[in-house]
Amino acid sequence: MARMKFLCDAERCIECNGCVTACKQENEVPWGVNRRRVVTMNEGVPGQRAISVACMHCSDAPCMAVCPVDCFYHTDEGLVLHDKDMCIGCGYCFYACPFGAPQFPQEGAFGVRGKMDKCTFCAGGPEPDFSEAEFKQYGRNRLAEGKLPACAEMCSTKALLGGDGDMIADIYRDRVLRRGKGAEVWGWATAYKVPPGKGTPPPAAAGGSKS
Amino acid sequence: MHQRILGVLVAVFAALLLLAPGVAAAQTPALDPAIAAAAKAQQKQQVEQPLNNKPVWDEVRSGVPLVTTVSGRETNVLIQPEGQTWRALRNSWFSVVAGWALVVLVLIIAAYYLINGTRQLAGKPTGRKVRRFSAWQRSIHWATAITFVILAITGLIILFGKNILLPLIGYTLFSWLSILSKNLHNFVGPLFILCTVLLFFTFVRDNIWRKHDFAWIGSFGGLFSGKDAPSGKFNGGEKLWFWGGVLICGVIVAASGLILDFPNFNQTRSTMQVANLVHITIATLFMLAGLGHIYMGTIGMAGAADAMRTGYVDETWAKEHHEYWYNDIKAGKIPGALDAPAGPAGKLEQKPA
Repeated sequence: MARMKFLCDAERCIECNGCVTACKQENEVPWGVNRRRVVTMNEGVPGQRAISVACMHCSDAPCMAVCPVDCFYHTDEGLVLHDKDMCIGCGYCFYACPFGAPQFPQEGAFGVRGKMDKCTFCAGGPEPDFSEAEFKQYGRNRLAEGKLPACAEMCSTKALLGGDGDMIADIYRDRVLRRGKGAEVWGWATAYKVPPGKGTPPPAAAGGSKS
Repeated sequence: MHQRILGVLVAVFAALLLLAPGVAAAQTPALDPAIAAAAKAQQKQQVEQPLNNKPVWDEVRSGVPLVTTVSGRETNVLIQPEGQTWRALRNSWFSVVAGWALVVLVLIIAAYYLINGTRQLAGKPTGRKVRRFSAWQRSIHWATAITFVILAITGLIILFGKNILLPLIGYTLFSWLSILSKNLHNFVGPLFILCTVLLFFTFVRDNIWRKHDFAWIGSFGGLFSGKDAPSGKFNGGEKLWFWGGVLICGVIVAASGLILDFPNFNQTRSTMQVANLVHITIATLFMLAGLGHIYMGTIGMAGAADAMRTGYVDETWAKEHHEYWYNDIKAGKIPGALDAPAGPAGKLEQKPA
């Protein structure tokens, strides 16, 4: 089975925020929640680069490690999804995540956190595929439709790649060889490098989906 | 003549050359020195090694605020490395040490109880009662105590439930219990702070540290001899619990708890990570001390629970455990202490027991 990953090519990203819009449109996420964002470095000076970032679906996911109710699970494709029915809204995943992926809609008085929302790689959640409940809680399940995430498919410069890790790595390697620069793959060391003896790197994970 | 003009021209040109960098510098917009330095490094890099983006990637990894159009909490930070540190500390050191400290203390107390049993009065009860706590003092004590126990249990479920309860009761029930725990913890917390403040001012006068409290501490409160060193209304142990537990632990737990409870003030993730670790540490110390207090107040010593339940203790109890306080009562220095029990306390006395 493929191991799904995101890769953002900083040499190509033009900071158009099309991916952010595509994600909001496709998944109908609530107000104040942005599953994806574009961050610009060295804005206005030589060497300006931009990177689009969302949940990277880590191999040894920090959110999963600190969740008090263990509501996260790895799918067979290596995606980190979570069960919103179980989520207690404590915010620990937000403290732990290196990429700032978990989002919390504010609910009720005193800024009480609602259920955590984050990028699902357009793969829905634990509810049955294409069900009303799945769409309402997690957004579109494009993977089950045989499509890739909306952000990556929408990207006008094909800076953002989403899909089988080996395939997008091949595409990227090809680009680097052609242009002779920009070999750095942002975030992969943080997201996909599993220290020896720590966790089971999916897709080798035996259990896969929990529920 | 020509040579002279040429000389002047050369001098003027040289002066202009010297001035030029100064003019150029004056035209550059004022920048943050750090940003200016980074930009300079970038420019150098572009000239010397056009294919190498090292400064960009260094900046990405440093966790500094960058630029984004997406609004929200710290959305301009591309990567925050402290999260991994917090995860490692919380999941290994802090929870392991806190958990085992609690388990070990419970075992020690259980062993002590099995060996020594409940500490009884040495003399015979006289049947005459002296008043130890007013209705208000008991109310505020129990309000604080109940909120404390709720916070302790719900906090333990949030920290250890995943490892201990979840395998036993399953995902659905445990999630329901955790949602209940989190909401109880977050709403009872501020109530506990209010109770603690009232409790502090209610009991502070009798908890002022006296010289004889050192002697009480020195004798370990009769833990091994079975006999209390003389003390005032509160002994050294109770005073330690009051100042160290209620005041110091209370203030730190309250402050760190409020930071975590109200995330709507845009506090950063690193602030909340530190607050969480402080909260775990001090709450554990608070619970450890609380276990000692609860043990001495219930099964550890006969008559102690009655004092907080009815407000009255037997004269013999007062004499044996709080001799200086008893002497003050006898000397008439404490008004109302010898009033006969009224209401439920009076009735309780008539109970055959």
